[in-house]
Amino acid sequence: MAETPVPAKAAAPKSAPAAVPGGYFGRVLVVDVSDGSSRTVAMPERVLREHLGGAGLGVRLLLDLAPAGVGPLAPEAVLAFVFSPLVGTPLTTSAKFAVVAKSPLTGLLTDALASSHFAIAGKLTGHDAIAVVGRAAQPSVVIVDGDHVRLEPAVDVVGMSAARTEEVLRERLGRAFKVAAIGPAGERLIRYATLSHDGRHAGRGGLGAVLGSKNVKAVAVRARTKVAPADPAGVLAAAKDLRTRSFGTATAKYRELGTLANLLAFNALSMLPTRNFQQATFDGAPALAAEELADLRGQAKNSCASCTIGCEHIYQLSPGRGGRTMRVEYENVFALGPLCGVSDADDVLEASARCDDLGIDTISAGGTIAWAMECAERGLLDAPWLRFGDGPALLRALDEIGTGTGVGPLLAMGSRAAAEHLGRGSDQFAVHVKGLELPGYEPRTLHAMALGLAVNARGADHNRSGAYEADLGGDLDRLDGGAPHVAAAVETEDRAAVIDSMILCKFLRGVFVDEDDPDAPWGEWAHLLSLVTGWDLDADELRSTARRIVLVKREYNLREGWQPEDDWLPPRLLADPIELPSGRTARLTPERLRAMVDGYWAARGLDAHGRPRAVDSPTGDRRG
Amino acid sequence: MTATPLAAAAGAVVLAGGRSSRMGRPKADLEWHGSTLLRRTCGVLARAGLAPVVVVRAPGQSLPDLPPSVEVVDDHREGLGPLQGIAVGLAALEQRVGVAYVSSTDLPFLHPAFVRRVVAPLLAEPALEVVLPIARGYPQPLAAAYRTRLAGRVADLVAADRLRPAFVFEQSEVLRLDDEALLTDPELCAADPTLESVVNVNEPADYDAARSRPGPGVVVECFGVLASRSGRGARTVAAATVGEAARAVDLVLDRHVLAAVNGDQTGRDPHLPLYAGDTVAFLSADAGG
Repeated sequence: MAETPVPAKAAAPKSAPAAVPGGYFGRVLVVDVSDGSSRTVAMPERVLREHLGGAGLGVRLLLDLAPAGVGPLAPEAVLAFVFSPLVGTPLTTSAKFAVVAKSPLTGLLTDALASSHFAIAGKLTGHDAIAVVGRAAQPSVVIVDGDHVRLEPAVDVVGMSAARTEEVLRERLGRAFKVAAIGPAGERLIRYATLSHDGRHAGRGGLGAVLGSKNVKAVAVRARTKVAPADPAGVLAAAKDLRTRSFGTATAKYRELGTLANLLAFNALSMLPTRNFQQATFDGAPALAAEELADLRGQAKNSCASCTIGCEHIYQLSPGRGGRTMRVEYENVFALGPLCGVSDADDVLEASARCDDLGIDTISAGGTIAWAMECAERGLLDAPWLRFGDGPALLRALDEIGTGTGVGPLLAMGSRAAAEHLGRGSDQFAVHVKGLELPGYEPRTLHAMALGLAVNARGADHNRSGAYEADLGGDLDRLDGGAPHVAAAVETEDRAAVIDSMILCKFLRGVFVDEDDPDAPWGEWAHLLSLVTGWDLDADELRSTARRIVLVKREYNLREGWQPEDDWLPPRLLADPIELPSGRTARLTPERLRAMVDGYWAARGLDAHGRPRAVDSPTGDRRG
Repeated sequence: MTATPLAAAAGAVVLAGGRSSRMGRPKADLEWHGSTLLRRTCGVLARAGLAPVVVVRAPGQSLPDLPPSVEVVDDHREGLGPLQGIAVGLAALEQRVGVAYVSSTDLPFLHPAFVRRVVAPLLAEPALEVVLPIARGYPQPLAAAYRTRLAGRVADLVAADRLRPAFVFEQSEVLRLDDEALLTDPELCAADPTLESVVNVNEPADYDAARSRPGPGVVVECFGVLASRSGRGARTVAAATVGEAARAVDLVLDRHVLAAVNGDQTGRDPHLPLYAGDTVAFLSADAGG
């Protein structure tokens, strides 16, 4: 990759270099906050075509820009905001960006996506990605104004929430700037701190701590240029068509009730993790259900930038609790509600709001607190006040995480590190994969999803593996994992890899489904990318691209210390069965999981230890 | 309803090749609440936990649509009665499971609890070879459980022109269960106290009477956007199949809708049989988030 220093006062880029494909600028901005310098790195067309953008291009950048084995919070570590060819087009849900870094929670790859105008403004600074390295001498904000890059002190916003920081900085810099910021948790390097813009979070894996370790409170971007697709008329026609289809039945759930609609349905299917995965149903679920809360607490609906679905559902705390409004999703209600045994809606909503204010991932926060509740109930942790079902205790635990008092420092480590620190067998019920706490999908009753969670590059994650769709689709037995579940996990992971790299919102995925043509989504995605980039992509090439991206992620993790035993599930899920109302027993044995993981490795062309074979190495590295 | 499924150590044989002469048309094709009698029988046996389910048909016999999991084998020797069909069915299963429940097609009220009750002794007692219900006053060889290793013995009897099931029982270790013995099982006693599981339909009048009964009372609950359209909360409807339950709450089982019976598998098979006390959950197929 060729590098070009950025002049101190460069003019805004007027257009992309001639050889750059549509939708791209063909370059990445690298900002070293240690001295405020910056440079651009050229992105060859081959690299763009092989990795697309977003999560795919992001991991490529980590491999190329970050030293091997660097600590996630070291100055040399890289954090990159990565855009995609579709950002800035009129295609619905395309205003998304990925943030990638080495996770302080897992020590491996983390790539989180968020949707907002930051994606558009960031890309239209004239870069396909903005990477941040180094460590600033004082709390700072990185300002990228087209090609003009500078650092400004941000001492006055230290301690503020991400949302408040955004307000203050936009007031100072101008409303045209879009600001992604961290909250107090990121400043304090809490391992599951988030990075946010406009209330949307790049939530998982501790990206906020990575930015915080660089003494960077926020990154502000302003659009200074444009980028044209290869076929503007074709893109416009496709956008109109997609927009129309986005109003259909396939997105009704998100539009009408939001993701919280999962809660009661999951409860009915014994797939709602409860009390630190000790049960899979929760008696208190109805009190937290979208079907109830939408009427009682629903205030408004909203959309991300460039989105016609409108999945955001704004709920309100009761007047007695201040009446504050907030966005509510299934995952934050699951993690702070059933997982902690809490059924009081005000407690759960307030807990969610406190996570937002601190800037921490609700899933990891809930998962770690649920682990601590079980430790306390077993007498392993000296916190007798911390009990399942106790909403005020949940709020106190969050406060202690935020202030670094009481049990806070322990819980700020995340469940894996906290269990290692506490010892006394508490790792047996620390429910994480690779250090990332599990989302609200019970693996014992979803065997394809169990595999997806086990092998995922960023740990237990429902956005990189949508294998639950296969579990629930009716074509396989979700309690009898085997070869069909392996195939489903591979296919859904491949689809996620492409969706997260081109980038579109996964809530749109049902729109692309044609039950008579399994290739339909791949064909349509290839068509959309072709219209934007000018490439002659087809479904086969896109499938190859997906497989490459999945393997590049694995290659990165290998470089950073991944071991075969990391593709596994926590002990509790392999020991304790779950009884279903039908009378069946849901059990995931180590032998079954071993067979599925081995099957997955084989399907990916990996060797018997889960490593890419030498000739297949997606990065070209030869390994013996 | 909570029930204890059988381990997959037992399969099932459904005899579909009868002549249905008194009915005047094939019993397998008879409509049953939007499904067919054969589809229902296969579904009941699958819901009882039996796998695989094998349907034995006459050569060239057309069958109504069946799920992909149901296997169909041909009985090439016509006119030899049910024993020949039993021999073919047991042979089809012999290498895979040790026990088979054998059923005729024409039992519209067959309940999984009955099937489980009949199969259970064979799974518990290795010396037993047949469990024969004597229900509602009659032996029920086509609602009985057999060791699949009897396939050869049954075939030998057929070859010797000894075509009555009683000849099998003469040569086998048989456990006979009368009504009282059958109903010692609390699950069966609750689900089918009058043992209607063995009521068959032989003539059009039998079928009409059976079909005119309302479907069993099942609890239906809709979730998410489906609740917005079809109403919230649990309610009881009369439905013998998932499709009938969906219609009762104005739902169409298209690709956006999934159904789960008693919190088990999700799917959209409208023919899946239902029983009194079942709970059917309808939910949106778009589960992510």
